Amino acid sequence: MKKILFFILFGALFSQCTPKITDAVGGAKDTVKEAVEDAATAATNQETFRHSAPTPGPAPVIKVKDAANFTLDNGLKIIVAENNKLPVVSFQVFVDVPPLVENDQAGAASIAGDLLSRGTTTKTKSEIDEAVDFIGADFSSYSSGIYASSLKKHTETLMALAADVLLNPSFPREEFEKIKTQTLSGLASNKDDPNAIASNVSNVLNYGKDHPYGEIVTEETVGNITLQGAKNYYNTYMKPNIGYVIIVGDISAAEAKPLAEKYFGGWGKGTVAKKEYAMPKAPSKTQVDFVSKSGAVQSVINVTYPVDLKPGTDDVIQGRVLNTIIGGYFGSRLMQNLREDKAYTYGARSSLSYDPYVGVFKASASVRNEVTQGSIQEFLNEMNRLRTEKVSEKELTSVKNYITGSFARSLEDGQTVARFARNIARYNLPADYYATYLEKLNAVTADDIMAMAQKYLKPDNAHILVVGNKGEVAETLSEFGEINYYDTYGNKLIVEESAADANITAEMVIDKYLSAIGGKEKLMAVKDLSMTMGAEMMGQPLEMVLVQKAPNKVMTKLTSQGMTIQESVFDGTKGKQGQMGQSAMMAPEDIARVKKQATLFPEMKMQELGSTAKLVGTEQVDGKNAYVVEVTDSDGKKVTNFFDTTSFLKIREITVIEAGDQTMTLIKDMSDYKAVDGVMFPYTTTTSGAMPAPLVMKVTDIKVNSGVADSAFSVE
Amino acid sequence: MKRQPAIFLLLLASIIHLQAQMNKIDFVEYDLDNGMHVILHQDNSTPIVAVSIMYHVGSKNEQPDRTGFAHFFEHLLFEGSENIERGQFDKHINGSGGANNANTWYDRTYYYEILPSNQLALGLWLESERLLHAKVDIKGIETQREVVKEERRQRIDNQPYGSIVSEALKRAYTTHPYQWPVIGYMEHLNAAQEEDYVNFYKTYYVPENAVLSIAGDLDIDEAKKLIDKYFSTIPRGKTAIKRPSIVEPEMTAEVRDTIYDNIQLPAVVQTYRIPAQGTPDFYAVDLLTKLLAQGESSRLNKALVDEQQKALFVGNFPFALEDPGVALAFGIANMGVNPSDLEAAMDAEIAKVREELISEKEFQKLKNQTESDFIGTNAKVTGIAESLANYHMYYGDANLINTEIDRFLAVTREDIQRVAKKYFTPTNRVVLYYLPKTEQP
Repeated sequence: MKKILFFILFGALFSQCTPKITDAVGGAKDTVKEAVEDAATAATNQETFRHSAPTPGPAPVIKVKDAANFTLDNGLKIIVAENNKLPVVSFQVFVDVPPLVENDQAGAASIAGDLLSRGTTTKTKSEIDEAVDFIGADFSSYSSGIYASSLKKHTETLMALAADVLLNPSFPREEFEKIKTQTLSGLASNKDDPNAIASNVSNVLNYGKDHPYGEIVTEETVGNITLQGAKNYYNTYMKPNIGYVIIVGDISAAEAKPLAEKYFGGWGKGTVAKKEYAMPKAPSKTQVDFVSKSGAVQSVINVTYPVDLKPGTDDVIQGRVLNTIIGGYFGSRLMQNLREDKAYTYGARSSLSYDPYVGVFKASASVRNEVTQGSIQEFLNEMNRLRTEKVSEKELTSVKNYITGSFARSLEDGQTVARFARNIARYNLPADYYATYLEKLNAVTADDIMAMAQKYLKPDNAHILVVGNKGEVAETLSEFGEINYYDTYGNKLIVEESAADANITAEMVIDKYLSAIGGKEKLMAVKDLSMTMGAEMMGQPLEMVLVQKAPNKVMTKLTSQGMTIQESVFDGTKGKQGQMGQSAMMAPEDIARVKKQATLFPEMKMQELGSTAKLVGTEQVDGKNAYVVEVTDSDGKKVTNFFDTTSFLKIREITVIEAGDQTMTLIKDMSDYKAVDGVMFPYTTTTSGAMPAPLVMKVTDIKVNSGVADSAFSVE
Repeated sequence: MKRQPAIFLLLLASIIHLQAQMNKIDFVEYDLDNGMHVILHQDNSTPIVAVSIMYHVGSKNEQPDRTGFAHFFEHLLFEGSENIERGQFDKHINGSGGANNANTWYDRTYYYEILPSNQLALGLWLESERLLHAKVDIKGIETQREVVKEERRQRIDNQPYGSIVSEALKRAYTTHPYQWPVIGYMEHLNAAQEEDYVNFYKTYYVPENAVLSIAGDLDIDEAKKLIDKYFSTIPRGKTAIKRPSIVEPEMTAEVRDTIYDNIQLPAVVQTYRIPAQGTPDFYAVDLLTKLLAQGESSRLNKALVDEQQKALFVGNFPFALEDPGVALAFGIANMGVNPSDLEAAMDAEIAKVREELISEKEFQKLKNQTESDFIGTNAKVTGIAESLANYHMYYGDANLINTEIDRFLAVTREDIQRVAKKYFTPTNRVVLYYLPKTEQP
C-alpha cells in the first residue's frame, strides 16, 4: 500500500515516460515542419558523418564475475559476491523450500514468513522497526527467508537482527490476526481484478489443484489458518541445510565467513522431505476456458500451457530468443501486430519460463470485447508463423543484441552475480554456465528457433483462458475449441441449459420475482420500512439506517462509532444530503434520480417509472443459474438484474456508473433472504467495485409498517 | 549496560570515518566553445555506458498560457530528426542492446540512453540529432498530444489522489510558475501553434543550456574526441534564454480548500512553503521531514498509523526546487475517521517538534538514514550521470556528488526545531481535504 501510494504521488509529479509511437505514417508524407532553419545548421549539414548511425566498435567482452562459495557445518550454503563500488552490503537468507501442497490451510507459509519480523523472543515489532530505522536499513521477511541491506558499517548489527528474527521468532498472536485481516482484504480486492482471476485460474488449468503450483489461497483457506499452522511451517521447513545466505556488496569472503558462522552457525538442521508430483500436461486439444466477469468491457486473454523446460538445458537460451521474438520486448511480433498495427491493446506479451519441476508458456493481453476473437486469432497466427517460417537474420540479430544488452546491464547490479551463483548451486548447473551464456546465445540460428517453436509453441494444445463479458464475448470463441466455464477460483461450472425455460420473458421473470418476495398484495400493503444494517470496513464498524415511506420518502444515515459520516433525506419533492455535519440541498437533477430510487419495490411500478425490461440470457452467479434481466429507466440508465432460476429471488444487481471519463461497475450481491411480515428481504448484501474491498452489510433489524411519521423526512 | 560506552564510542568513530567510507566519485569536466558543459565519469566495471543530456528548461520556463511545453518536448524529441526517420529513435537503441528514457521536472528536462560501451558513438549521435535538428511533423504533434492526454488521464485524473500535487501547488503559489503542473493544461497544448514549438525549441534546446553527462565504461580521451566530433560544431542559440525571476511573496494566512475526488477514504494534505534547495535551511527541513515520515518508526507513522490508527498511510515529501519549494505532509484517513481529527493529530506531532528538541538518539537515526540514502543514490552509472548533471546545473559544482552529505550533517538538532518553528506553521501552509466525490454537496 505504501509503495503504491508513493509511486502514485511521484508518478504524478515526475512526468516520466518513453513516448511510444502508436501509429506509423502510411505512404504519403505529411507536411514536414522543421524546428530549425537551414541557415543555422548549414555548417553541420556538410558533415556527412551525421547522415547515418555510426558503426559500433568491437563488442565489449562481457565478463561475469565469480562469487565465493562455502558451506557451514549445518549445511547452510554461503555465497559472497563482492562489489566495492559502494560501502553497502545486502544479504538474503533464502530457504529453498520444496513446493508443497497446503490443502485447506493454503496461505499459511506466506503468513508465517510475514510473522517472522513481527516479534522475537526478546523484541517487539516496534523495537524491530526502531532498530532497522536507526541504522537506515531495509529489512523484510518472507516465507522463503529474509532480505536486508545497509551501509557496510551496520552490517553486523543488521545480521544479528536477521538471525534473531530467523532463529527466535515469537509468533505474536495479535500480529498474526493483523496479517490475516490484511491478507483477507488483499484477497477481497483481488476478487474484482480480472488479472488476478486469470492468474489463479490459469494456475489451476495448467497444473491442477493437486499440484503445489495450482493451489489457490481463498478466504476459506485463510480463515482456516491457525497460529500453530504458521509455526508448523516454520518448524518443518526453515532449515539451514536447504538454505543459502547470499551476501552482496562491499565485503570479502574472508570478512563474510566469520560473520555467517557467528550468526547462522547455530541454526539447527533438520530433514526436509521432498514430495513428488505428477507432471502436468498440456491439453490434448486446444480449448477455451471462460471465466465470466459481469459487465466487463475488456477481456483478459491468456494463451497458456505447461511445458517441460528445465534450468540449465540448451533449450533455455534458445527458448529465451524464441520468446523475445514473439512477445518478450517492445519490438516483439505480438506487440507490433496487436498494438502498433491493429491497436487492439495497450500491450501484448509472452513468457516462456523454466522451472526444475514444470515450466509454463503464457501469451497475454487485455483487449476490448469486440476484438477478443480477432486477438486470439492473431496470437495463434503468430505462434504458427514461427513454427512454419524461418526468422530473418536481421530480426534474429536485433533480438540477440537486445538480450546481450539486457544481460550486460543486469551485471551492473551485484545481485545478478549472486543470483547466477545461487542458480548454479541450486540447479546444479555447470560452473561456467553464465560465463559462457552469451557465447551460447550468439550460436543460436534461425533453424534452432524454428525447432524451438515446434517444440514449445503449441497453438493446438493450449488453454485459451478468457476472463470477460460472457454475454458479449463467449459465443464468438467457439471456433477455437470447446468452451468450458469456470468460477473465479478455477472450479468448473456446469451450465444447465435445461434450468432455463426457453419461453420465458422478462416480464414473467419479474412477476415471478415479485411473487417470490411475497406477492403484489403483500408488497402493496407495505407503507413504510425501516432497516438497520451493520458492516465493517478496514476494521471500523459501520451502521447504516434506511427508512422509506410510500410513495417515495426516504432517509439514509451512515454512522461509525456514533459519528455520522453521511446522511440524506428526501421528503418526496425536495431533499438534502451531506457528510460530517455539512449538508446541502439536492440539485434538481439529483431530485429526479432520488425520486426514482426512493420508490418502494420499483419492480412493481415499471410502467409508472417509465422503465423497460429485457431478458438477455442466463448466467451463473456463485454456482447458481440466473436469468439476466436488463432494466432501462426513462433516462436510458441500465441496471442488470440476476434472478435465481429456481427461487426467482434477485441475487445480483449490476450498475455501471459513469462519472466524467471514468466508469465504475458496481456489483451488489444479495443473499440470506428472510421473511418479515410476509415479505422477503435479503439479510446480506455484498457490494463490490466501488471500494478497495467488497463491503458486506448484514441486516440487524427490519420493521415493516411501524408507522413512521412524515416528520422523519423533514428537510427543514 | 556495561557495554554501552563501547557501543557509543564505536558509533562516534563511524561518523568520523564517514568520509573515508564513501567511495569518491572521480570525474572530468569541461566546456565546449559553444557553451555546452561536459562531465565524464569512468567506471569500467561493467561494459555499459550511460549517455545523457540535461537541459536547463522545465515547466517554470513556460508562458502561463502555454503550460506543458517542456514535458511535451520530452515526447516530441523522440519523434525523429533530420537524419532519423520517425519511429526509428527507439529502434536504434533497442537493436543495439540499449535502453532509454526521459523525464521532465519543474526546473529541467533529462534524456538518457544506457548502451553497450562500444555504442557510445551511437548515443552521442542520437543526442546530437536531438539537439541540432529535431524534426517534428504534424502527425507527430498530434500523436504525442493524444499520448500526453492518455498520460494525464492515467497519472492524474484516473489515479486516486493523483491530483494532490497539482491542486496543492496551484494554491501554494500565486505568481510563480510552480503554480501549474509539469504536465500542463491540455487546452494550452491544443491552442499551441507551430511557431510556439519552434520558438521553444530554438530558445532552450541550445548547447549553452545543456549538460552532457556520460558515465560508465569509457576511455576519457576517446570520449572527448567523439564528443568534439558530434557537438563542437553545433551553433549557439540566438535567442536569450528566459529564466523567470519571479519571487513568490511570503504567505501571511493559511489557505484551506476541499477537493472531491474518485476516492473512498478522505485525505488531509498540508503543503508548507520551504526554502530553495541548496540553502542551509533546506537541509534542515529535509531532516525534519525524515523525522516525521521516513520508516515505520517515524513520528507520524508510529503515532497516527500504529498507535492511534487514525491514518492508513502518512507521508511527508520535501520538493527540492531551484526557487523556494514546498513540503507536502499528508495522511489518508482510516475508515470512519473524520479528516479534521486526522489533521489535529498531524498538527499535534508537528507542534511537538516545534516545542521539544529531539533526542540525541533520534537525531542520530536521521543522520544514519540520510547517509544511507545519499550513498545509495550512486549505485548505478545512470544515477551517477544524472547526479553529476544535476549538481552542475543547479549549483555549478558537480563535486557535490561527493560532498553534499556534509551539508546535511552540518544540521543540528536546534536547526530542526528552528525550521519547524519557522516554516511548519499554520500561516505558511495550504490545507486541502480530499473527500470522496459521492460526498460532494
